Amino acid sequence: MLASRWKYAGFSLVLLFLAAVPAVANNNYLTAVFVSVLLFFILAALFDFMLGYLNIFNFGIGGFMALGAYTSALLAYHYGISPWFGLLAGGCATLLLGLFAGIITLRLRGIYVGLTTLFLAEFVLFALSNLREYTRGAAGLQVSSLPDLFGISFSRSNPLALYYVLFVICVVIYVTLHCVVNSRIGLVFKAIRDDQLGASVLGFNVVRYKLLNFTIASFFIGVVGAFYGNYIGILVPTPQEFGVARTTEILTIAYVGGRGTLWGSLLGAFALIGLQEVFSVVDQWRLVLYGAFLVFVLMVFPRGLAGGCKQLAAWITRQVQPRR
Amino acid sequence: MHFELLAHPAIVGQFIIDGLGRGVMYGLMGMGLALIFGIMGLINFAHGSFFMIATYIMYFVAVHLGVPFPIGIMFAALGLFLFGAAFERGLITPLRARLGRNWLVDGYVMTIGLQIVLENLALIVMGPREHGISRLIQGRMSVSGVILTNERILIFSVAIMVVATLAAFMRLTSLGRAIRATSEHPDAAMAMGIDVRRIYTITFALGSALIGGVGGLLLSTYPAFPTIGSDVLIKSFIVVIVGGLGNVWAAMIAGILLGLVESFAQGIASAGWQNSIIAAIVVMVLVFRPSGLFSKPISRP
Repeated sequence: MLASRWKYAGFSLVLLFLAAVPAVANNNYLTAVFVSVLLFFILAALFDFMLGYLNIFNFGIGGFMALGAYTSALLAYHYGISPWFGLLAGGCATLLLGLFAGIITLRLRGIYVGLTTLFLAEFVLFALSNLREYTRGAAGLQVSSLPDLFGISFSRSNPLALYYVLFVICVVIYVTLHCVVNSRIGLVFKAIRDDQLGASVLGFNVVRYKLLNFTIASFFIGVVGAFYGNYIGILVPTPQEFGVARTTEILTIAYVGGRGTLWGSLLGAFALIGLQEVFSVVDQWRLVLYGAFLVFVLMVFPRGLAGGCKQLAAWITRQVQPRR
Repeated sequence: MHFELLAHPAIVGQFIIDGLGRGVMYGLMGMGLALIFGIMGLINFAHGSFFMIATYIMYFVAVHLGVPFPIGIMFAALGLFLFGAAFERGLITPLRARLGRNWLVDGYVMTIGLQIVLENLALIVMGPREHGISRLIQGRMSVSGVILTNERILIFSVAIMVVATLAAFMRLTSLGRAIRATSEHPDAAMAMGIDVRRIYTITFALGSALIGGVGGLLLSTYPAFPTIGSDVLIKSFIVVIVGGLGNVWAAMIAGILLGLVESFAQGIASAGWQNSIIAAIVVMVLVFRPSGLFSKPISRP
């Protein structure tokens, strides 16, 4: 019981920290850093929800984001539909893509899922840049900002309000994922991850569980993507933004944070985004740093920062408890 | 759409020659990737970066030092052989030793890490400037209106030579047989006294040397540039998937097929869409024939 109480205390502290710091500092730069930390955290957590719990390698997460972002932006641009609704619509679009991708690929072995999602994402990106009359392609699509709600302005000139929108989205996604992972379904996920054949012999429909996992994750990726579109204000279907480069950033944060632990991604996001802000490195060195971190974690720190924290906590408990 | 172009035999001939020329290049690019996947089961995401390094080696050796092209290509292949061996020994072997059977996912994430580092280091060190040459050898000929450069003929002959040498190596030498045995059943190979660890290192180095030589050979088409690898990687993936993952010979046929599709699509349809069409074809192959177009249909992997 004690352990779970500590967990809730930690969770509340982190929530308080994330909620309070940008408001107290009231500094646009710091808010922007926190926005990108939260964005990468939640995307890495979603990536880890698929990879760390079911070994599903979604190498097209960038393209899924692009679909969510463009759906929301195009609905607002062509049909004047409110971006608030667009957040959900973006999620629904990627949910359909995820359902389609899941049905066609999840029967296959790991690497085939990775390659299929990669090429589906490439297809989405190529289609977005080729449909120039509709999406404006490489010229860039202007995204209207979120309209006012309850008298609060959510335009891009008020980043603090946008930060809290993202904060709420992240909390909702995280709590949902946490509940799924700690429910009976989550136990089945882990059983499938550790021994797929064994789980299917026990009568669990492996493909159906994978599809459930993949569809939930896809929906949320779309929501985050739609928010991202509103946040940056202009969408261009470049690989840096939504292609393999973005996917590898998310993957690195998930790995550095530690696989199979959703909260580890927050550590990973703070570590990598924090480092690059502290040293204010140029773009190329930033990516070299990401790659080097990834290799380093794989070689000497396979459980990531979260694993390190767990070991530290276990060590402290051992020291604090009197020896009998 | 310009279907009327298909009525002119000279234009169709040119499409076919262009398609073959490109296709052979794509096939050559895919072979190293297919070799490594076929034997080790590892997808090498750094494949394109290896190509990029090879183009820089070739440029340096051939242009700065001024040695003849064949020697430059050999240097590129040798350099990448050593680099591949070092990478496999230094980073992949410990990973495999620690994780046992489940090393593959971490293995390809490792190559992703390497790819990010190499590509961005190249951007910092070499700068975003192309270093290229206009052609390896001079001359062209014209057969009833269809233009054929000597360089294309050279690349074509090199491709045939590489395929033949690799086939002979795999079938006739004892090292080749050991490699094939390892790919079929590592445990049984080990029981037969084959040093599987060494075979994996040699295989990875050979695959790297293959892409290294290809990078040197194609310098005039693909000039040395830090991000040249991403295009090469995607093309190699396509070829390897359509041919069947791990099937080295089918990669060459798939390459030629891809080259022909591209050349006709670019000639007839409007530019840009051929990428979407090809991505859709790849997804369809992955879904309906995951073992590739040219392999015997087996149960789903």
